[in-house]
Amino acid sequence: MNMTNEIHDVLIIGSGHAGGMAAKMLTEAGIRCLMLNAGPVADITRDAERLSASDLPYRGFRPPGHVDHIAQANEFNANVWVDEQEVPYTIETGQPYSWVRVRLFGGRSLFWSRQSFRLSDYEFKCKSHDGFGEDWPISHADLAPYYSRVERIFRVAGALDGPPQMPDGAFILDDDPWTPSMQRFINAATPRNIPVCKQRRALGVNGLASSVNLLLPDAEQTGNLTSIANAVVREITVDKNTGLPNGCNFVDRITRREMSVKARVVVLAAGTLESTRLLLNSGLANSSGVLGRYLTDQIYGAGVVASVPEARNRKGEKIMGGSAIVPRFRNIDTKSDKFLRGYAFNTTSMTGPLGARNFAAYGAELEKKLEEYYGSGFVMTIMGEVLGRYENHVRIDKDKVDAWDIPVLHIDTRYTDNEYNMAKDAVAVASELCETAGFEVLSKNEVPNPPGYSIHEIGTCRMGDDKKKSVLNKWNQSHDHKNLFVVDGASFTSGGWQNPTMTILSLSMRASEYLANEMNTGNL
Amino acid sequence: MKRRDFVRTLVSFFVAGKAAISQQQRVSDPTLPPPAPVPWFTGLNSRTPVPATELADHVATTELTFFTPLQMRTLTRLSDVLLPPLNGKPGAVKAQTPKFLDFLIGSSAEPRKKIYSGGLDWIEESAQAKYKTAFAQLDDNQAGELIKPWLRTWMSDHEPTELHADFINIAHDDIRNATVNSKAWNDVPSVGAEPSTQTDVYWLPIEPDVYGQNPAYAHTPPHVLAAPKDGQKMPVYSR
Repeated sequence: MNMTNEIHDVLIIGSGHAGGMAAKMLTEAGIRCLMLNAGPVADITRDAERLSASDLPYRGFRPPGHVDHIAQANEFNANVWVDEQEVPYTIETGQPYSWVRVRLFGGRSLFWSRQSFRLSDYEFKCKSHDGFGEDWPISHADLAPYYSRVERIFRVAGALDGPPQMPDGAFILDDDPWTPSMQRFINAATPRNIPVCKQRRALGVNGLASSVNLLLPDAEQTGNLTSIANAVVREITVDKNTGLPNGCNFVDRITRREMSVKARVVVLAAGTLESTRLLLNSGLANSSGVLGRYLTDQIYGAGVVASVPEARNRKGEKIMGGSAIVPRFRNIDTKSDKFLRGYAFNTTSMTGPLGARNFAAYGAELEKKLEEYYGSGFVMTIMGEVLGRYENHVRIDKDKVDAWDIPVLHIDTRYTDNEYNMAKDAVAVASELCETAGFEVLSKNEVPNPPGYSIHEIGTCRMGDDKKKSVLNKWNQSHDHKNLFVVDGASFTSGGWQNPTMTILSLSMRASEYLANEMNTGNL
Repeated sequence: MKRRDFVRTLVSFFVAGKAAISQQQRVSDPTLPPPAPVPWFTGLNSRTPVPATELADHVATTELTFFTPLQMRTLTRLSDVLLPPLNGKPGAVKAQTPKFLDFLIGSSAEPRKKIYSGGLDWIEESAQAKYKTAFAQLDDNQAGELIKPWLRTWMSDHEPTELHADFINIAHDDIRNATVNSKAWNDVPSVGAEPSTQTDVYWLPIEPDVYGQNPAYAHTPPHVLAAPKDGQKMPVYSR
């Protein structure tokens, strides 16, 4: 039952970076948008308070049973993640997956780490470079103007020091000198042709680079945006005469009242796997048969923790500090026989305490070590590309539903030797660099975290020129339904070592401008 | 707050409100006492004092729910060895860490339970085999002989998976974190590199208990709450 019978210009499902950007671009072009978000609005002045773990019943530990697969969860933030009992998902036996979700208004844009990189043509044209997978239907040159606009909105800080595999952008320039510990690391890396660059991070406003503070206010100011919270979309509806999407049915998550809305165009921005789940549950956009296929993300977790000896015993004040990004250096000019593609290192020279896990000691001996090594830590962790494979996919689990009787997602994905070999290589290189720099390696790990952990899931609704091998065209538009767009990470043709947020934002901006133009010229 | 309590509170709120309005309407009757200057509920505002409460964990006791008495004795000794009182800071035992772990591990997933149960049984058997005495009775050196071969360094949420090393290192990490985040530890200022009790922004449950609204979903547990709503009373103030 639609009580108003109003037909909106565009229905946007999801309010994170992708949905927020779509709302901003479309409303500023004079298009009336309706945004639905599955969860509530978070107001930190009302919903949060500063507390000590000693005043919490679980002493800061993650409360068991509700967010068990979210490594990032603890007792402080347990209520911001999607409850796995409320919205469960299923996996293949022995193939764990960490699906980390936020349904608050603004989604995961409220909590991301703000690392901000562009993809390069080593990613966009990956097949042309090494023969694996598919090239994207666009290149860096196509997306570069949008990257620049996004970088200005999000106030990305960085240096213009990127090699071709890490294109520079419209940055707030970081010209701080390297600290001595970082310089020693650079001196170890340079002879090995391993580039070390300044980190690139969105400053946002007051440290927040979210949809709720950088995108949605602009959309709301136009007067063209209507938003509904706690609207759990059940399915996209279709006009029986045209076969085109024409709105959606949703359930109010609090009252459980079934509702529906109508729109001329539907834009999906619910987050990679939720957008794909919605399409699968709606039976749309899958003439290619690849909807749900080519799920990928990044390997995290492998790395090295070292100590700079000269900085121990509180002598590190003038030695330590700073961070760097080591962009992918494997399989650029040379070719590894162990794996395709490559990985980056996040590198941090620490000024604070080192964790107790870095010492095989306990009691008084451990406390002595922690005091001695305080402020001397040097940490390298990887972000590695995961190959997009047809068999890594999601589908609907017909035997299980969520709290609103919506069929859940079944995730069937795993890493292969390519990813495991990449992680081993990374740890060997990191150890070698640290030792060459004169650092003591304290602990290392060469086993990647389970898929999903990086919260960088992408693919499953990929774009391409060939509609038999892709779900979307180069404008994030469904090959099957011209008034259906998917503007989040689901649209990625393949991955990379880079945090995907800047690319999601730029794709959403580009697709939304295209859509606005199509609507304003009467093509849609 | 249970739904029926919520309804009861809501009803009494409106009854009280109606009574106050009724009093105002009768103000012209000179035989009646003068009404209260304002309806009582206007006193519930941002300046209303908020009662101070304690976490039940700080003042109450509880029964063991997961570990056997022997396992608890072993865990208590292990906790004391791995994190004894040092430099004025309380150790794990004074921080009630073993009892807390009985609660935490007892409500954790099965694999975690197995690591603890199996690990405690193993180290007790090892003590019996090597010293012919219970682990709880070993001195520090004897306990160290059993523990040290299994200590590992590790990072990035990758706990050791090797049998026995998994238990020793996971238990050490848990004992340490639970103790550092205890009230006993927090009450003593940290010095130097001694870890401090974690302080952070705590997010309250952001929406109502959706399952409480619909009996059809009563079988599904509600969100975990930081403080039991049942324990929170509506404050009463003298007028």
